[in-house]
Parts: sequence; structure tokens; C-alpha cells
Amino acid sequence: MDVFILGFAVHPPADRIGDKRLEELVFDTSAEALRHARIERQEIDHITIAACDELDGRSISSMLLAAPAGGYLKDEVKVTDSGLIGLCLAAMRVGTERFNLGLVASWSKTSIAPFEDVMRMRCEPFFTRPIGLNASIADGLFAQALISKGIASEERANAIATRLRNNGAKNHNGIQRKPLTVQEVEQSPYVGVPLRTAHQAPLTDGAVSIVLCSGKWLKAHPSATPLARIAGLGWAVDSYALNLDRLTALNSFRASWNAAVKQAALRNAGAFDALEFDSQTAFHALAYEHALDLNGAQSVSPSGSAFAQNPYFCMGLVNVVEAVRQVADLAGPLQIKKARHAAAHGQHGFAQQGNAVVVLERV
Amino acid sequence: MPQPQKVAVIGVGETPFRSHNPEKTYVELAQDATRLALDDAGMSPDDVDTVVYSMAPTEFMGVNDADKWAVDSIWATGKPFMRVHTGGATGGSAFHAAYANIASGQFRTCLVVGADRIAETPDAQHVLNLIWDRFYEQDFALNTVTMTALMAQRYMHLRGMTEEQAARVVVRSRRNAMNNPFAHLKGEITVGDVMSSRMISTPFKLFDICPRSSGAAAVVLASQDVAAERCSHPAFVQGIGAIANTVFMGDRVGSTADCEIGVFGELTIAARECFAQAGVSNPMRDIQVAELYDPFSFMQFPMMEALGFCQPGEATRLSDEGAFDMNGALPINPSGGTLCTNPIGVTGLVRMADAALQVMGKAGAMQVPNVRRAVATAVGGSAQFFAVTVLGTEPV
Repeated sequence: MDVFILGFAVHPPADRIGDKRLEELVFDTSAEALRHARIERQEIDHITIAACDELDGRSISSMLLAAPAGGYLKDEVKVTDSGLIGLCLAAMRVGTERFNLGLVASWSKTSIAPFEDVMRMRCEPFFTRPIGLNASIADGLFAQALISKGIASEERANAIATRLRNNGAKNHNGIQRKPLTVQEVEQSPYVGVPLRTAHQAPLTDGAVSIVLCSGKWLKAHPSATPLARIAGLGWAVDSYALNLDRLTALNSFRASWNAAVKQAALRNAGAFDALEFDSQTAFHALAYEHALDLNGAQSVSPSGSAFAQNPYFCMGLVNVVEAVRQVADLAGPLQIKKARHAAAHGQHGFAQQGNAVVVLERV
Repeated sequence: MPQPQKVAVIGVGETPFRSHNPEKTYVELAQDATRLALDDAGMSPDDVDTVVYSMAPTEFMGVNDADKWAVDSIWATGKPFMRVHTGGATGGSAFHAAYANIASGQFRTCLVVGADRIAETPDAQHVLNLIWDRFYEQDFALNTVTMTALMAQRYMHLRGMTEEQAARVVVRSRRNAMNNPFAHLKGEITVGDVMSSRMISTPFKLFDICPRSSGAAAVVLASQDVAAERCSHPAFVQGIGAIANTVFMGDRVGSTADCEIGVFGELTIAARECFAQAGVSNPMRDIQVAELYDPFSFMQFPMMEALGFCQPGEATRLSDEGAFDMNGALPINPSGGTLCTNPIGVTGLVRMADAALQVMGKAGAMQVPNVRRAVATAVGGSAQFFAVTVLGTEPV
């Protein structure tokens, strides 16, 4: 499988993008990605959409959004897990050699969606829904589980939340919220003990589109300049049950990571110059670092990841763009010198039931 | 890095379809189909590398992302998993996604599975009203029946189809379904029965419209080397094609439209790509059976013409002459098709499963003799998403 990133666009994020309808947000982002790749829409031969009907507020939302995303009279498919799963499918579609040039488009406009209600309705109706579980409560349970296993503590969560917020504040592509001190984090209100509001990555509106091409297409278009090569893909899903083992084992995260790293023919996290994790809370960041036994040699979420902007459904694709920027020397003030390999991670589902990892390699 | 490889169907599973399945939960239905498909393929859950889930609007279930609820029941825990959703075309699109999982070389085996329980909602068409714009279209009483009735009127205007000709499709489908142990609606009815059934939305009477079905289906796909080990008569994926059009139906009418709504011009584009991959130059000669996504009686006609089985306007005459009957030149929907069974998020996958059974020679009483190639379709959204697939006895 020989698949490359040719261009991308991330819509300027905001807590609420109020001056555009969803289809305008999607159209503008895909159009910008095509411009970035110097491609006309007519040239692409397929599109992969990743979106969530419930967050879009419309059943079969791709009926409306496939065309503005770039899919008018194109071979189109949609996944509903996350933006990063969309990229995984898109890369495989190119890998079949039946497609050569395509778009991945994903978006998230949670300012117009009752986010916690949507998450609560992900609960099955017999056991978990009646007790009022939603995303924040599930994340609180996750944090409790990590603490019970010695993987996290409130103090460490306060520190890492501060670090991620500071990283995010430096990211000109993000919201650039004011940095917080450790004291401000630990004094923020609880939302689901031990999870505090400042431990959470605030939701933002946003959209991402990425242009992919095959190696065959590149050979036929020698003037085109790829930004990165997709060196590895991995994704997996965990049990629906929210018990202690499921929450602390991080099995789908580990499986995704191991598959992507193996495919990229890399040994471990030490081989990466930058790792962009979809940490929806500080506890998630601690869990991921624990799972990979990171030793501090790597740059972890230098962009601030979800703490810089957090278009929830497509956050993994934002991480892909940040990773591509690193290996393409486009990261500006956040640039890590001579970054050769970067990994982008995304999570989805209830209490990160699903995970995905994509390895980007300098071309 | 993974290398491209050829792909085949090696196992199929379907549950019986009916209005209600009160003895099974949603996830148990999905499990039943999974178990059947794995048994058919001679595989255990551990043999499955990756899973694609076929599920359309979750409002039918009342559980957002109900696919994730099903993960444990279909033995997907710890495996790569993704859900595909393109409305009514979902099953066809999910099959295409599963194909990509293997054809890319990323995996060797893939389970594609889905379940639906349409009749559990008080009114499925109320749910399907929610696919339209909240401000401009929902109050217009637009749903999948009224929307498609407009298309049927358009086809009648362009091609001269009569309501009786559409009714004959229903008669044929219900008769074919008598050979399908899993079909929801089946039996001997007459054109008069269809014509005298209750008017729903002109020109559709009740019998012109598919049922709301509950049930599940699963298909196991594998690389050519795995297929050679496990299956004596696999159904190879010879070609795939899909296309999306705009939601706006008015933009698909008349001389300025890129694709005319009443004749499914999009399907012609998708089929051209699919048939080129499959080496099909003359569909009527090269393909022996069709499993078409036809939730409404008129839909077989524009679909057959768009696929190139006949010239524009010829499909109704060929149907009247029996060309699409079980002993005709090209049997359509030996299973009874979508007119007899429609678990929406799975229906396209059922078409794939029934087409695969024909190619594998395992269709039982539905079997068409000497099938070398079968074509299957799926349609979704405002009849704007199309998926077409050719399966055959040989890899290409």
C-alpha cells in the first residue's frame, strides 16, 4: 500500500462557528484542501466521509453534505466512527489500486448539538441509560479506574492538563485559550469525580479535509509534491462494557498502536519524533503515556492536540494534520527539527471504546 | 507494505426477516447472522481479521451508534471495526468498504454484518421524514415513500410505464419470495390485488411498497488465498462502483440536470466503472442473475435500463414478456428482493448475500442455473447514493 498525503485543510476553529451553515463549513474546508493540494475537484476519483448523524442533527446527514464535501457524482462512502477511521478506510481504498486520488472529509459542529444528550443516547436502554451515563460521567469513571490502578493521580492530571493547555496556547492553528496554572486547574469544579472541568478539552466547532493519492498517481504527476507518506494504520474496538478491566487495559488503544507501528516497520514509541494523542481529558493523556511507557524522549502532543482545538468527531484528523505538518516542516513555531516520523491518534465511542493510530512519514 | 489482492465471498448468513423479532434483542440478531456466516465459511470468530458494520439511521433503534453495542455479541472485541452508513445504500457501501479492507492487502478476512428492527419504531416513515431539511422540507410531508412516488411519476412521464406494469413486478417478487425461506412477504397475489390495495402516495398502492423488516445478515469476505483454502465455490468480487448525487431532487430534473432523477442516470456512471473492472461489456449476455434494490415496484425498470440490460423504455415490455421471470432471459430478484424484505440498513447486504449464493451455487430453491456472474445494487438517500457490485465464479 503506497498512499500519500497531498494536501489538507483545517477550518479555523471556534467555540461556535455561527456565521456558516454546516454545509458551508464543509464546502469551504474541502475546497481549501483541494487548493492546498493544487487539485481540481473533477480530478478526484473517490471521497470518504466521516460524520455523525446525531451530532449533525440530521438523519443520513450525508444526503445534504456529500456534495459540498466534494462528493458530487463521485464514488462516495461514509463511516460514522470518527474522522480518523475515515482516513483509514480512504487509505485502504487507494491501496486497492482501484482509486488513485481522493478526499477525506470530516466535521464536527457541537455548538449546534446537545453533545451530552447525544452521548447519553449511545447507552443501551436497559442498564446504562437509566443511570444517567454520558460522556463526562464515563470519563469520570475512566479517571477513577486509572487512579485505582495507580496509573493516574489527580496531581498528575492537574500537571498534564496545565502542560497541554500551555501547548495549545502556543498553537496558532488552535483557539489559543489562556494558559492555566496548576492551581487554577485543581480549583476548577468537578464534573464527575475526580474529573474537573479544566481536565477536559473544551469542545470546538471545526472541519478537516485531506487529499490522498497513490504512488502510481504521483509517478504520473511528477510535478506534484506529497507532504507525507502514510506508513502505518491501526484501529480497533473494545468491549461495550464499562468495567474496570475494560477501562484500564486500554486494549484497543494498544492494538491500534501496535498494528500501525508494526506496519510502519518501527520498533516502538522511541522511533517517533512527535506523537499527537486525542486526549479528551488529562486522564486520557496519562493513560496513553502509561500504555506506551513513554520515557520523555518524544514530543507528546506538541500542538496541544484537543486542548488547542477539539472538533470532537474529527479530532483524530486534526492530529493527522498536525503530524503531517511536523514531517513536512510546516509546523512553524511548534516545529520539531528533522521530524521523520509522527503518529496521530484518535478515539471514539463511549469511553474511548474505539481507537485509531496513523503513522506519517517524511517523504 | 501490504499488496493488493483479489477478494471473494466465502460465507453468508441471514436470519428470517419479519415485522417483529420480540424474542431477540438487537445485538442477538446481529450475533445470529454472524454465527451463520462464520459457520458457512467454516470459520471461528478468531479467524476474522476485521469487521465492517452495516447500519443506517440509528433512530430506528433508539440507541445512537448501536453498532458499538453489538461489538461483544459479534465477537469483534479487540478487532479493527468500522461502521458504514449511506442510508439505504448502506449494505452495498459496507460491502465495498469490506472489499477495500482485503483488496488493499491490509487484512485477509473480513466480516461485514448488520441488523435492523425497522418496525420497532412507531412510524418508520416519521423517522425517515427526519432525513429532510427541518425548515423547508419536513413539513412538506416528504419521506421515502412520497419522495420515491415523485420519481415513479417522473419515470411514468418519461418512459410511459403504467401502474399495472409496476404491479406485475410485485406479483413476480412475491412469487419468487416463496422460494426464499428468509423473505418477509411472500405468496401468490394478482395484479388486481396490487391495484386494489390502499392508495398511499400516487402512484403507489400499499402493495407497491416494501415492508418494514427486522432481521440481520452477514457476509464473510476473504483474500483469494484464504478463499482457496476454505471454500470450494467462492464468489469473487469482480467489480465495484458507487456514486453520490446532490440531495436536491429539483436539481436532478430536466435538461440542465447532470443525471435525470426518474431514470437513475447516476447508476449508469457507477455501473460503467463496475462493469469495466468486471469485464462485462454486454450485461444481458455476461450476467445471469440480478439482485436489485427495489423497495418500490417501479424501481426495477429504470435500474435495468441504467445498468444497460436494455435500452431506455424497454424494461417494462421485457418484464411484461417474462424476460425477468425465474425462467426468463435474466431473472431479477429470485429472493423476492427488497419489495418483499427491507431491513433498511442491511438490505443492500442482503442483496450481496443473495447474489453471492447464486454465484456459489448455494441458493437452494432460488437458484438460477449456470450462474457465472451476478449483479447486486443498493440505493440510498433521496435515491442519490448508488452502489453496484458484480460477483463471479472467477477472479478478474
